[in-house]
Amino acid sequence: MRLWWIVPLWKTLHYVSISLLVGIVSLVDLRIVGVAKGLPLRPLQRLMPWAALAFVMSFATGAMLLRINPAGSLGPPINVAFVGKIVFLVLIGLNDVLYFASGLKRQVDGVGAGESTSASAKIVAGVSLGLWVGVIFWSRMLTFLAGAI
Amino acid sequence: MQQWTETSAFFIWLRESPSIWAYPTVLFLHTAGLAFTAGVSLVINLRLLGLAPQLPIKPFARFFRPLWIGFWVTAISGVVMLGSDLDTRLANRLFLPKMIFVAGAVVLLLVMRRRVFSAAPPEQTRVPAFARVLAVASIVCWLGAIAAGRFLAFF
Repeated sequence: MRLWWIVPLWKTLHYVSISLLVGIVSLVDLRIVGVAKGLPLRPLQRLMPWAALAFVMSFATGAMLLRINPAGSLGPPINVAFVGKIVFLVLIGLNDVLYFASGLKRQVDGVGAGESTSASAKIVAGVSLGLWVGVIFWSRMLTFLAGAI
Repeated sequence: MQQWTETSAFFIWLRESPSIWAYPTVLFLHTAGLAFTAGVSLVINLRLLGLAPQLPIKPFARFFRPLWIGFWVTAISGVVMLGSDLDTRLANRLFLPKMIFVAGAVVLLLVMRRRVFSAAPPEQTRVPAFARVLAVASIVCWLGAIAAGRFLAFF
């Protein structure tokens, strides 16, 4: 096949976008949990729009990969790992909505260098980290669970 | 070495078990570890290149412990997968370039931790020029390693 390099190139773009997304999420969540307390949270949380951009890039490149091989994820039979991935992404979305709507985001913005965040902020950040690890788990299981049920 | 990975019970299980807790889980650890290590490194490099300029430099040194944990998860799972199919993987022409990119990224992390992050005065936000050069080199290494890893699977 003459255009064999398109799929690995596209997967590289997908991986790089995800790395940037996971990188920003990890830095912010780890700081909220208590790593690198020397960093003030207001300027650190200003990275979040970049995480949103990285998510849009991950989603767009992922949607293209889904179009190239729809049966691998959508079946029939529908792939359990794909369902798991979507469910976890929705949970991350809900966790983020909770973070903003509850006023926690604004509270955390007020946490300066050397200060600790509230217990509820730590829980939301910990849940976020765990859910992202879960998204990577389901993504990796896609090829292995295709047609499993 | 070759003999050993072909006959050891662990590597036979890893190769032949249909369970998702065998090879797929090792591959997952490799992916998750890499996404974390490369991702956090990339964002720290972008900080050195001018992203979020209000953030002081020194506290980033604290992220190196989780970074190394992520690196070792990636490296150990990588070695385990290498052992599961030693001949084929070593023969892949992208394997060596990938290892060179990874080695470069690790050396740069070690240098940056000492010369850029630990060495910075507590409140400093200004980034010295040599640190920006290191950041560009580090980004090239991580992008190279990810790309080599993706293309490697197609050879």
